[in-house]
Amino acid sequence: MMPTLALKNVNKTFGHGTNEVQVLTGVNFEAVAGEVSLVIGPSGSGKSTFLTIAGGIQTPTSGEVLVEDRSLLALSGKARDAFRLNQIGFILQAYNLVPYLTVADQFTLVDRVKKQGNLSTTELATLLEQLGIAELTQQYPGELSGGQTQRVAIARALYQNPEIILADEPTAALDSDRVKVVGSLLHDLAKQHHKAIVVVTHDLRLQEFADKTYKIMDGRMTLS
Amino acid sequence: MFLALREIRHEKLRYGLIVGMIVLVTYLVFVLSGLAYGLAQQNTQALDTWDASKIALNSDANDSLSQSLITKQTTDKLSLTKHEAYVGQAGVVAKAKGQAKLSAQFLGIQKNQFIYHRLTTIAGHKPTTNHQILVDDSFKDNGYRLGDKVTLNSLTGKYQIVGFTHNAKLSVAPVVYGTLPTWRSLSHVTPTYQAGGIVSDRSTFKGAESSLRTLSLSQFINKLPGYSAQNMTFSFMIGFLMIIAMVVIAVFLYILTMQKLPNYAVLRAQGIPAKVLVTTTITQALLLVVGGLLIGAGLTALTVSVLPFGVPLAFNVPLLVGVTGGILLTGVIGALIPVRIILRVDPVSVIGG
Ligand SMILES: Nc1ncnc2c1ncn2[C@@H]1O[C@H](COP(=O)(O)OP(=O)(O)O)[C@@H](O)[C@H]1O
Ligand SMILES: [Mg+2]
Repeated sequence: MMPTLALKNVNKTFGHGTNEVQVLTGVNFEAVAGEVSLVIGPSGSGKSTFLTIAGGIQTPTSGEVLVEDRSLLALSGKARDAFRLNQIGFILQAYNLVPYLTVADQFTLVDRVKKQGNLSTTELATLLEQLGIAELTQQYPGELSGGQTQRVAIARALYQNPEIILADEPTAALDSDRVKVVGSLLHDLAKQHHKAIVVVTHDLRLQEFADKTYKIMDGRMTLS
Repeated sequence: MFLALREIRHEKLRYGLIVGMIVLVTYLVFVLSGLAYGLAQQNTQALDTWDASKIALNSDANDSLSQSLITKQTTDKLSLTKHEAYVGQAGVVAKAKGQAKLSAQFLGIQKNQFIYHRLTTIAGHKPTTNHQILVDDSFKDNGYRLGDKVTLNSLTGKYQIVGFTHNAKLSVAPVVYGTLPTWRSLSHVTPTYQAGGIVSDRSTFKGAESSLRTLSLSQFINKLPGYSAQNMTFSFMIGFLMIIAMVVIAVFLYILTMQKLPNYAVLRAQGIPAKVLVTTTITQALLLVVGGLLIGAGLTALTVSVLPFGVPLAFNVPLLVGVTGGILLTGVIGALIPVRIILRVDPVSVIGG
């Protein structure tokens, strides 16, 4: 089966000369539609760097990123924007909501920019219900707790109905019950809606929802 | 528009301050332009009503009508038509019993000529004898009435106000229209002098005598004492004000944009095209500037309506369009400066470690 998202021998270094740090070393990774791929590693191991390269926000120093066998790196800046908007749902680690938009407006903004392929009103209502944030639509991000913010961010990413969902520590601020809700939601999305889901985290509680788990340590990734 | 409006709604104080600043700048520019135009008008209003295109003066008069004398000998050699008219100017102080003294410009004209025909009265009639005068309506604002007997400088005779005319100002002083003989008395010259100048409404007119120098009316106006200097002063003030306004608005918009960069980085990470963010920023700047302009214009209108007599505030359409366009342009340029920064915003910056 063709992987939806693949990284081939990806290296990433920051800085030059004596300041040079190698953050990713020879990373090989595959995510397929219908599966939750988990990447577990401690803080500073290169998880966020890996995820931004996979999502086309950053370019690797060397190596290849393939989306359905097409090179992401060969795309123009504009085409990469369109790719992010249409095919990728980012759940960012922190600060990922626009502060001057209410929760409802966060979704309206998506509608303004991406005119089709978003969730229907009833699908959105169900999603918000599942995540326990249906009552919060008129609130501004500044009025939400950390956990609520994180769940709104998850809903926002899923609203675009992307083929690939990239989540960076999506459960960092959540208690165990909420972790279960988010974990099974991601699992269902993979199974029922055939999404390729990539979650990077140090939260071992998510392991039970994963189809496969990679370990990352000092920028080296291994399939366990 | 969506993002631009939502953000303004959420940050009312911050955007309110910017609009407030634009209002003040707009107001200042409008009022200054109005004053400049108003003053310029009061320099030339009387001349404008004549609708003339040339004036011939004594070549030794340094282009000043009040300094110019033309002899009857000279005028006899010219073949003047109904398109030409004599005029003589003298500075006067007018005084009537029980009234304050008024400094004015006396203009002596001849009854059967075109300047006389083109004068309009808002009350009374045009003078028909040497001891009658037609005066600018600012005399009325100062308490003078029809029928008042007025002395001019130290002349012994009395001159009766037989009519008021509107908008008769020359060199920012009200005009007193009378006859050429009265002008001769005021200038202390004998009847060998026909007039101070010859005005024509033909653009081809030329006073073909070596003692005469013919100017176009706009040349003549630019030589009016203080006129060019005054206009230049105002132009500089307005120009500098526009530049300062542009810098201030640009700095504000720049700071504002810098503060929004983290939000823009989030939006970029979500795949929102940079174009949308640039459009948002420019739309927002335009909304702020247009809002400020409208309020500033409203304030100006209010000022005009409560301003006392005598403050020369006047507007015309090209002036208003120019000022408004200038401020709008200022806002757009101010908003365009940070565009480069928006285009280079790095979504990675918000993806925390
Ligand atoms: N832009 C950068 N410049 C220099 N070093 C960086 C940069 N981004 C990340 N790093 C370094 O790379 C390492 C991995 O970072 P990151 O991918 O954010 O780890 P994680 O998300 O697993 O905590 C860290 O040591 C971090 O300091
Ligand atoms: Mg991280």
